[in-house]
Amino acid sequence: MKIRTIRYYFKEGFANSYRNKLMSLASVLIVVASLIVFGIFVLISLNMQHNISIWKEQPQLQAFCYEQLDGTQISRVEDVIRGDDRILSYEKVDKKQALERMREKLGKDAAILDGYGADIFPVSFVIRLKDVSNSNEVVKDLEKVTGIEKVSYSQDTVEMITRASHWFSLGSSLMIIIFLVVSVFIIANTIKLTVFARRREIGIMKYIGATDWFIRWPFVVEGVIISITGAILAFILSAYGYKVVADRFSQDTFFASTNLLSLLNIEDVWLRLAVSYAIIAVVVGAMGSFISMRRHLKV
Amino acid sequence: MVELRGVSKTYPNGTVALRDVNLKLDKGEFVFLVGPSGSGKSTLVKLLLKEEDATEGEVYVNGYDVTSMTRQEIPFLRRSLGVVFQDFRLLPNKTVYENVAFAMIITEALPKEIRRQVPMALALVGLSRKANMYPNQLSGGEQQRVALARALVNNPALLIADEPTGNLDPETSWEIMKLLSEINHRGTTVIVATHEKSIVDEMKKRVVSISKGLIVRDQEKGLYRDEDKNNPILF
Ligand SMILES: Nc1ncnc2c1ncn2[C@@H]1O[C@H](COP(=O)(O)OP(=O)(O)O)[C@@H](O)[C@H]1O
Ligand SMILES: [Mg+2]
Repeated sequence: MKIRTIRYYFKEGFANSYRNKLMSLASVLIVVASLIVFGIFVLISLNMQHNISIWKEQPQLQAFCYEQLDGTQISRVEDVIRGDDRILSYEKVDKKQALERMREKLGKDAAILDGYGADIFPVSFVIRLKDVSNSNEVVKDLEKVTGIEKVSYSQDTVEMITRASHWFSLGSSLMIIIFLVVSVFIIANTIKLTVFARRREIGIMKYIGATDWFIRWPFVVEGVIISITGAILAFILSAYGYKVVADRFSQDTFFASTNLLSLLNIEDVWLRLAVSYAIIAVVVGAMGSFISMRRHLKV
Repeated sequence: MVELRGVSKTYPNGTVALRDVNLKLDKGEFVFLVGPSGSGKSTLVKLLLKEEDATEGEVYVNGYDVTSMTRQEIPFLRRSLGVVFQDFRLLPNKTVYENVAFAMIITEALPKEIRRQVPMALALVGLSRKANMYPNQLSGGEQQRVALARALVNNPALLIADEPTGNLDPETSWEIMKLLSEINHRGTTVIVATHEKSIVDEMKKRVVSISKGLIVRDQEKGLYRDEDKNNPILF
């Protein structure tokens, strides 16, 4: 294929979509809508994974000692923890630190702690495991250690959220497929109209010896022009929308202080969004053209 | 150049358009294909272009075995010949120049070649001065000249014209026929399907008569209708 021929395909492709303005515009809007729905699912999904991985890195276990233990008793507990080879690392949180952390957590409401000393807080150990899968066992063993009152355990939540995100992915994949199929057919229909409008021209081209693909390529280009235009608009809208949401979110004092949930920055997601939009646009546009040509362009 | 051997064509609806046609054309010939409407002239032309497939027999055109060729080869068969029709078949939104150039663009010809060949083809048909006009600004005769220029721009060895003067007044028809004859003198083999009796009679070329799908007469320097009363049943 020669460069000048490719240039001809693009020129014709643009001319076709321009001549068929109204339907082209309608198709572009459908593509925009589908891709934005797709984008929302992708963004939610990326953020879910991001948060799950943060939670997973967070201390899995926290072993609290009885408040009234003295220094030697505590160091005995510490020895047990240090000696357990299933434990990757641990960090001791003494009474003062515990008070500090609670102050931080409460933020503006920290005033309610006034008048209380660090004494009311227990010493605790924040424990990271080498292997998350045997956390149940470790918890049971630690609870038997003299001096440990209770072991808190966030594994359940992580597991539940991981599972929820699987179901979310499955559900959203289905939705996305439906939307993309609709886009493909709308584009196919638009191309069909162009093919009909140019039937005579196509006939003439065949008489003077144009190959099938010489006749087809401009229609493929037309389909891809529609879907790429849709993708660009969808990208601008969804990237801007996401930025607004992420900015607002980062200013929310509750989430900022608790570390409970964090959103990825637009800088972290835009490339993935753009690449997936571009790939989908090319595939959807080309598929739309091919379906239309198989049905209506018996060259 | 062109050869049909035992060719028959039956359309899917059962109409028999050609029966056991045998025809041979040598390089440089000028042949009229005559016969009343519905006799099978256009069907024969369609077989040469592989727009229709022969039901029986073999067709050879410009060295191509048309009967057994694949779909992918058809464009190359068509590029090896020029074809014009009664209804001109020009692209309305392209200028005269662009219409002619288009036949070269589809062959991916070099722009340099296109700039050289198109003016030559337009000069040949006498339309150099109307290169930038659109088909709807031209008379019927001029439009047919554009179609001729387009058919000739790739220098085909064979030119096929199906009722080229069917939409033209007698005077213009004559001009087109003279042009076809001139093209033939330059070495191009020409086939003209027509039922213009007066022109055929005047031109004194080879005449192949078809009636109800049969070749009933093939005569050098012939007339449209043989006045010989020995064969009255044929007409
Ligand atoms: N596509 C077709 N389907 C069925 N019958 C056809 C078709 N084309 C032509 N015919 C029939 O074949 C016969 C020959 O037609 P045609 O070749 O067009 O004759 P001509 O060009 O000499 O007028 C006619 O009876 C016509 O009705
Ligand atoms: Mg005819």
